[in-house]
Amino acid sequence: MIAVGATVAVIGGIFAWREYQRPHASAHKLEASHVVSATELLADFQQDEEAATAKYVGDHSTPIEVAGTIRLIDTEAPGIINAVLDTGDPMSGVVCEFNENDFPADWSHGMDVRIKGFCSGMLMDVVIQRCVPII
Amino acid sequence: MTTMKHLFLAIAFAPFALFAQERYGTRTGTITFFSETPAENIEAVNRKVSSVWDVSTGAIQFAALIKAFEFEKALMQEHFNENYMESNTYPKADFKGTVSGVSAEQLKKPGTYDVTVEGDLTIHGVTRKVSHPGKITVNENGSVKAVSRFIVKPEDHGIKVPAVVRKNIAEEIAVSVDLDLAKL
Repeated sequence: MIAVGATVAVIGGIFAWREYQRPHASAHKLEASHVVSATELLADFQQDEEAATAKYVGDHSTPIEVAGTIRLIDTEAPGIINAVLDTGDPMSGVVCEFNENDFPADWSHGMDVRIKGFCSGMLMDVVIQRCVPII
Repeated sequence: MTTMKHLFLAIAFAPFALFAQERYGTRTGTITFFSETPAENIEAVNRKVSSVWDVSTGAIQFAALIKAFEFEKALMQEHFNENYMESNTYPKADFKGTVSGVSAEQLKKPGTYDVTVEGDLTIHGVTRKVSHPGKITVNENGSVKAVSRFIVKPEDHGIKVPAVVRKNIAEEIAVSVDLDLAKL
């Protein structure tokens, strides 16, 4: 009986430790829930923010795929690169945050690109994080 | 158009130009919070904070998406969103208030100025009046950095911490706001 209890405790402990140490899901390995252009994505948020949040953000566990033209690339913080996709609205874009290791070295202003990442919602821009390129 | 966008546009682009208003803003400000307990330390960072500051009136506001806070561990981030912040129901936090202690004239020359930030801080759908010290630094190139450090108590914003994890989450959370502001 003691041996059974100890075994259960050890297995439970291992499971809890692995769950605690579980890394963030990578967009590389997950299928996108929605495929959309940057222009359509912004329009959806502008038309009905609550509905768009439910559709594209959800529980933040499934990435979306977005296509667009790079309007701007900026390096705001060490290790982070933002690519802003054009939406046709000069006041708002789709900001795609990359870990610098995931950002293609040959991407530049004006390029048509496709990315996959986790949408966090919209303030002035639609924000997508933990992005990876689709090449 | 979203309510949040309306708010920012109202400050940033209202027809105040006749009065030569000085406005600064960012879309990539940073908010960091840190919870320290003997059991564990928890830190999260949000690098997508939007802010607009109208120097001529002192009015400032910033907003952050709750789901844009990033944690080292996925489990912490999930608990933060689902159990504590209820970010599906309360997807944003924001602050609307004023900055006092620095003038538009002072911002024309490099230096660091002590300021006071007062206003309404809304987290988890609960708004509290706050007043905190801060610093405004004007760099040689004319860019402006605004910094404030303050404490937020989860219970002040109706954030319930289950008894089973109470020893893991501090009663007072240290919050840092860092805004690199550019002239609009």
